[in-house]
Amino acid sequence: MNKTWQVALHEYQRHVLTRRFLFGLFSVPFFMVILVGLIFLIISMNNNTTPLGYVDRSGLLAHPLPAPQVKLPDKPTPFRAFSDEATARQALQAGEIQGYYVIPADYLAAGRLQVVFTKAIKSVPRQQFYHFLEINLLANVESSISTRLIAGDEIIARSLDGSREMSSRNGWFGLFLPIIAAIGFIIAMFTSGGYLMQAVVEEKENRTMEVILTSISPNQFMTGKIFADICIGLTQIFAWLVFIIVGIRIASSSISFLQGIQVSPQLLILFVVILMPTFVMVSAFMALIGATVSEAREGQQMISLVSLPIWIPYMLIGLIIGNPNSPVAVTLSMLPLTSSLTMLIRQGVTILPAWQIALSSIISVVGAVFAIWLAGRAFRLGMLRYGKRLTWREIFSRRGGTA
Amino acid sequence: MKKTTIVLKNEIITLLSRPSFWLVTLGIPIMAWLVFGLVGRLNQNSSASSILSNIFSGPAELRPEGYVDLAGLIKTIPQSIPAGTLVQFADETSARNAVVRGSIVAFYVVPKDYLKSGQLIYVRSDFNPLASGGGQSALFQRVLRINMLGGNLLLASLVNGPLKVQEVSLAPTAAQSLDNTNPLSFLLPYGVTLLFYFLIMGSSSLLLSNVSKEKETRVMETLLTSLTPTQLLTGKIIGLGLVGLLQTILWLGTGYALMNLSGKVFTLPFQFHLPISIIIWGIVFFILGYAVYASLMAGLGALAPNLREASQVTFVIMLPLIIPLFFSSSVFVTDPNGPIATTLSIFPLSAPVAMMARLASGGVPWWQPPLVALLLAVTAVFIVRAVASMFRAQALLSGQPIKIKSYLQALLGR
Repeated sequence: MNKTWQVALHEYQRHVLTRRFLFGLFSVPFFMVILVGLIFLIISMNNNTTPLGYVDRSGLLAHPLPAPQVKLPDKPTPFRAFSDEATARQALQAGEIQGYYVIPADYLAAGRLQVVFTKAIKSVPRQQFYHFLEINLLANVESSISTRLIAGDEIIARSLDGSREMSSRNGWFGLFLPIIAAIGFIIAMFTSGGYLMQAVVEEKENRTMEVILTSISPNQFMTGKIFADICIGLTQIFAWLVFIIVGIRIASSSISFLQGIQVSPQLLILFVVILMPTFVMVSAFMALIGATVSEAREGQQMISLVSLPIWIPYMLIGLIIGNPNSPVAVTLSMLPLTSSLTMLIRQGVTILPAWQIALSSIISVVGAVFAIWLAGRAFRLGMLRYGKRLTWREIFSRRGGTA
Repeated sequence: MKKTTIVLKNEIITLLSRPSFWLVTLGIPIMAWLVFGLVGRLNQNSSASSILSNIFSGPAELRPEGYVDLAGLIKTIPQSIPAGTLVQFADETSARNAVVRGSIVAFYVVPKDYLKSGQLIYVRSDFNPLASGGGQSALFQRVLRINMLGGNLLLASLVNGPLKVQEVSLAPTAAQSLDNTNPLSFLLPYGVTLLFYFLIMGSSSLLLSNVSKEKETRVMETLLTSLTPTQLLTGKIIGLGLVGLLQTILWLGTGYALMNLSGKVFTLPFQFHLPISIIIWGIVFFILGYAVYASLMAGLGALAPNLREASQVTFVIMLPLIIPLFFSSSVFVTDPNGPIATTLSIFPLSAPVAMMARLASGGVPWWQPPLVALLLAVTAVFIVRAVASMFRAQALLSGQPIKIKSYLQALLGR
């Protein structure tokens, strides 16, 4: 056992203290910041503060109420009334306005508008004009009702037993939190798994392994490596968590939807009973690949065999969110590898039956044990081969067990 | 020249004899045709599609929803809403029992202080507020709105905005504007961007792995005894480029044929038919983009001692191609001729991908593609010459570790 620890400690130190690892650690929050910046840039590009004209023939805007307040990051667009289309068109061609709406006399009966522009009106000013119309349409309605209609509703979704509750106010952001967490977990899983694979291939290639195995059993060696791999991954996740928490602390004062974030205990349970076994399984597969191939490059191609099933639920995310209890979703949450992401997606949008969690967890644990067994076997067989790949048939053949 | 041809031939033969190459080259079009055929068949054959939708989305839920109106706002249910879609309950307990019995799938509660708080409670046994067919909550909100406005249907709709907007564009050149409501109009520029990114990246990283592999296995040493580094580089770039071009034509041709067929199968509006010119520009931009990136990659392969170290620098080189990918689903669709898209498509390093995305979105002024192609060609000439000087025997044979800084210095000829 002591030797296992030594292997684990060595492996951990060797990878965590490198520049590459630190680069990976910092690049993720860095890219997240850039991504958020890009999103804000794109949103702000939908703004256009050049005035928007209108020609009102219906009398709706004869004595207009002012347009409602605009929330950040949108910027208010001023509206300008024109008495007839000719002057509006002149203003448009002179570039004084970005476009103009014509409200026909029968607007209140037919609901049709005409818009004239040189470049399509962006969504933000368009929406502001509709709000402007809305507030004037409701000018004669009782004030309690009109304020309600203008402010809009907040839908609170609640499960029948009352155990879950979520508000639409944050755009259902809370539903996507588990998915984001799972994706971070998977990325950490694969980066640290990649280290493991590379370490095994390298030590095999430069014959270090032969020397090490004179004083330690292959199983101890393997266990130590897989354990270190998991610790590396967890270090990464922990560091990201620190970044995220600090980020939320800073941002929550200005971004309202971050304030209501809560982590449910069920989410933590899922992480422990499904994601951790999957992590062990993936690590073992990585070690297996490292032991099977003769070059690190070949290993990269084989990693996709493991990563593809993990990402399948991500490709079907729309489907799973829409129908979290469909046969496909339930099947995917039972299969090893696909279960991790599927379960986390479903956790957000539905109530998971306890038997499904239990069954999926058992399947993942069995899969992890099987993967470790397979890796140990491939390791014993492939250890002394150089430049020749181990075939699957050899791993599974009975003769190999005693070799 | 003769030696260059030998290198060229050897590269093509080695590449074409790899099964994995054929798997990718033919596999992607075949997959596309299969998916296309399947979807087309499903569109015509309703029984097959219903079986499929049963597997993917579970048995269709057409059960009604209920509501409990504690605020006393709902007087009538408009006739446009099918009878029995919304069932009234006197109190929450009876609604809850109905859900347990299965006669309704969910229910809404309008609290007493709704007018003040604006809160609606939506109780569902499986909780999912985003369930497919969840348009029902919009339906209920509409019923509520109609009742609040005293049954005035038109006013209730107009509150959300006009029913119909006629758009009149006074733009001097009638820019072809894509229909924003159709998902394909988003997918097309996105798909083209992705395709070009993969094509250019795929074929130029072939060069990287090729050079660094030969360097690692010392084949390079043997080769350099009988031909000059420049001959080797030229042969490799042209050879792998020809194969990449074959791939491009095959993939673009498939995409073109499928897009035009889809017009018949899915009855799309005419604007969706890609113009033939996009294929011609596609080939031009592929060749130029490939020349730039393949030489950059070959230079990297020449300097890096092995592939693993080289791949760390790859990201930096590929960055200009990756940036348009970030924007591909937003700027290139909503504003293909705006400042960001135009800048990206003129800057030579990002142009091959960005220009193709804009061409797929449509409305690019006629003079821009030739200008950008010219700029790109000039850049390509410079970079090929810079890299050729990197391809010296000394660099090829050394085993020094690679750094981004040393790479850039070598590129600038220092």
